[in-house]
Amino acid sequence: MATESDFKCLRCGHWFKTNYEKNKPEERTCPKCGSNSVRPMPEKKK
Amino acid sequence: MSENVRIGVFVCECGTNIASTIDCDKLVEYAKSLPDVVFSIKNRYTCAEPGQQEIQKFIKEENLNRVVIASCTPKMHEPTFRNCVIDVGFNPYLVEMANIREHCSWVHHNEKSAANVKARDLVNSAVSRARFLEPQKELEVPVTHSALVIGGGIAGIQSALDLAESGFDVHLVEKEASIGGIMAQLNKTYPTID
Amino acid sequence: MDVGRHPKINLLAYSEVEDISGYIGNFKVKVRKKARYVDEVECTSCDDCVDVCPVVVPKEHQLGLASRKAIYIPFPQAVPASYIIDEENCLGFNPIACGKCAEKCDKNCIDYDAKDEIVEFDVGSIIVASGLDVYDPTEFDEYGYTRFENVLTSMELEILTGPGGVTKGKLIRPTDRKVPKSIGFIQCVGSRCESRGTAYCSNICCMNTIKDTLLLREYYHDIDCKVFYMDIRAFGKGFEDFYRRSKALGVEYIRGIPGDIREDPKTKNLILSVENTTGNGIEEYELDMVVLSVGMVPRKDSNSINKLLTLQTTSDGLLMEVHPKLTPIDAPTAGVFFAGCCEAPKDIKDSVTQASGAAARAASILSKDKVKIPALTATVDDDLCKSCGICVKVCPYSAITIDMKAKEPAKIIEAACKGCGTCASECKFDAISMKHYNDAQIIAQIDAILEENPEEKVLVFACNWCSYPGADLVGISRMQYPTSSRIIRIMCTGRLDEKFILHALKLGAPIVLMSGCHPADCHYINASLKAQLRIEKLWNKLERKGIRPERVQFEWISASEVGKFVKTMEELEEFRKSVTKKEIEETKKILSKSKK
Ligand code: SF4
Ligand SMILES: [Zn+2]
Repeated sequence: MATESDFKCLRCGHWFKTNYEKNKPEERTCPKCGSNSVRPMPEKKK
Repeated sequence: MSENVRIGVFVCECGTNIASTIDCDKLVEYAKSLPDVVFSIKNRYTCAEPGQQEIQKFIKEENLNRVVIASCTPKMHEPTFRNCVIDVGFNPYLVEMANIREHCSWVHHNEKSAANVKARDLVNSAVSRARFLEPQKELEVPVTHSALVIGGGIAGIQSALDLAESGFDVHLVEKEASIGGIMAQLNKTYPTID
Repeated sequence: MDVGRHPKINLLAYSEVEDISGYIGNFKVKVRKKARYVDEVECTSCDDCVDVCPVVVPKEHQLGLASRKAIYIPFPQAVPASYIIDEENCLGFNPIACGKCAEKCDKNCIDYDAKDEIVEFDVGSIIVASGLDVYDPTEFDEYGYTRFENVLTSMELEILTGPGGVTKGKLIRPTDRKVPKSIGFIQCVGSRCESRGTAYCSNICCMNTIKDTLLLREYYHDIDCKVFYMDIRAFGKGFEDFYRRSKALGVEYIRGIPGDIREDPKTKNLILSVENTTGNGIEEYELDMVVLSVGMVPRKDSNSINKLLTLQTTSDGLLMEVHPKLTPIDAPTAGVFFAGCCEAPKDIKDSVTQASGAAARAASILSKDKVKIPALTATVDDDLCKSCGICVKVCPYSAITIDMKAKEPAKIIEAACKGCGTCASECKFDAISMKHYNDAQIIAQIDAILEENPEEKVLVFACNWCSYPGADLVGISRMQYPTSSRIIRIMCTGRLDEKFILHALKLGAPIVLMSGCHPADCHYINASLKAQLRIEKLWNKLERKGIRPERVQFEWISASEVGKFVKTMEELEEFRKSVTKKEIEETKKILSKSKK
């Protein structure tokens, strides 16, 4: 089931929220810098 | 992996496309310093007939069993060089290319010294990979002698007719109720007015 | 047109390709033949059904000047020459409401219960000729296309004055149905524009307008024709001559694109203000009629075909060829070729030329009895395989079988394997190897690149279909980027095993990039998403080990995204500088301690 999760952009460091489902990757883009290197951070604190 | 690997490195100047940024003589010297490289030479245009003949000649003369070509992108001339070596009974999978044009000379022409360092790395990478290349046999599959043409506009119709006239069965798929596409809606068309 | 009758051509009109699988020489195709409700073979186009049909609707593309029935023929020379029922408007689907045409049809061609049909067949080669669409200028509100009746598109003018038009070829202006005394053409509507329509030049609109002016001046000697343009592009054989003739006939060419169009509410005439860049600044013109010379845009429905054949497009939505000069009509997918506007806007002559070229390319495959498939497939080491079954689960092509009960090693079906390398990357026992991209070969490349001064290098793994040719295009475009990058080619990001990345970090690589096709463009169905998942897991692993996850990055870069490639290399070079020697040494230490 898709829920919202925190993501961190490993390129620019930006944190944001978007849909996330464990083991179901999809193309994601950092809203700030446009990189695809965004890391899902469920249950992780800043 | 040492069944006596004998690598030949062919460095292409590509006219001035590579040579104006990369010092090809030095690159040849560098290649010769690498383990298992028994031969290296530069060409003005490796892909041209004399360049290809040189590859064939030195495969035989130097008893090469791996060929590395430092030139343009493999997306362009890998098929060319594979065919070239097949002609002298060499397995095409024993050819490796180092992309020192698209990935180096063209994109770093303002930083010559760093570009030359990079070209060396790319040649080293290709030679190192070549050492582990193995001959391969390609699977041959039968061909169904018919074609699918997607779209029944003027282009699709022409392709379908040409193929049909060449004796092949064609399936022409059109989304609309009639073929003809946009062309069928046109009144008169240039460059003739009819 | 003898396409409809050619014994070698199976015409499937009103049909859509639903699925394509297989490979060069051996594609399997599934087509949905939509129900027309009229038997196209039996129908003789007698017209009897039309007379009795009670439903009248406006005819497409006729500016509301003509109507048709719910049973109709798209245009007089349609192929197949058969009627069709418009599902949306026909009443006959309810037997109580109507059924008139079926009663009337002597040949019993009409069947309201007809169903879509699925047709399946095999082919050896595919030609994509899916075309482009005509641009809809509604968003150019300043030209009032939806507000002023006397503003038409060039396509509408074509149909109106064509043989199928309501006026039987006569030019009339919609509001008073009189022949207009003056007509203006506005060029480049929806073309050469970054914000609306397309950024490219649509290629055909200048010549089409010139042709229109010649025709108009020929039939209506006193009609005043004005053309508002940015540049007139008349580059083909005989084209310049055409342009000269048009000018000699008195057609006025005004260099400037009108800012807006207003309508005189009484006369319905149109008033254009334009900055004439070769004249005296702002000028105003009052015209009876205005034609928007619209360009061509990608079809909204082209995505499904592109996806089925894993075709990529430029940022403009035009299909990407393998190489613009060497193989301009070959798709990157072997056995697939392009014809016509789907590749780039072109006129009839160029479309026909390219179509014949595509047919010849396809014939070069079809004329052979056998084709060779590149030796890039997976192989299993029977001694190492533990029959765990993970490869069977991850293979996008179901190319692996395992008898789990018998504990027999995995078997690769060679003809089905496309060589993405996902199984090799996912196998925990290193039991799967890829022909021509095996572990030893890739490790050797990493070792060579990181042999000297590894801290100065950005190691990039780029896939064969998108990012590697994308980097090539950067070179072809002579764009410049930092020299630190070192690219290793792999067939697909699916091949990128975490062990390669860990190996590179252990040798002192400051940063590793995985770069491949956008998941929607992946040449191996979903292998690039599987690769993304592996990187996400690797990030967690690195963090647990005390290594910054940032050291491993990925980017989806298509074969046309040169800007994105350069930007990524610049950003990574900046990032590389922030990775200190101390950090690299620590990473090396951590990784040489842990075994796996
Ligand atoms: S390489 Fe890809 S296609 Fe071939 S068997 Fe492995 S997972 Fe399947
Ligand atoms: Zn970011």
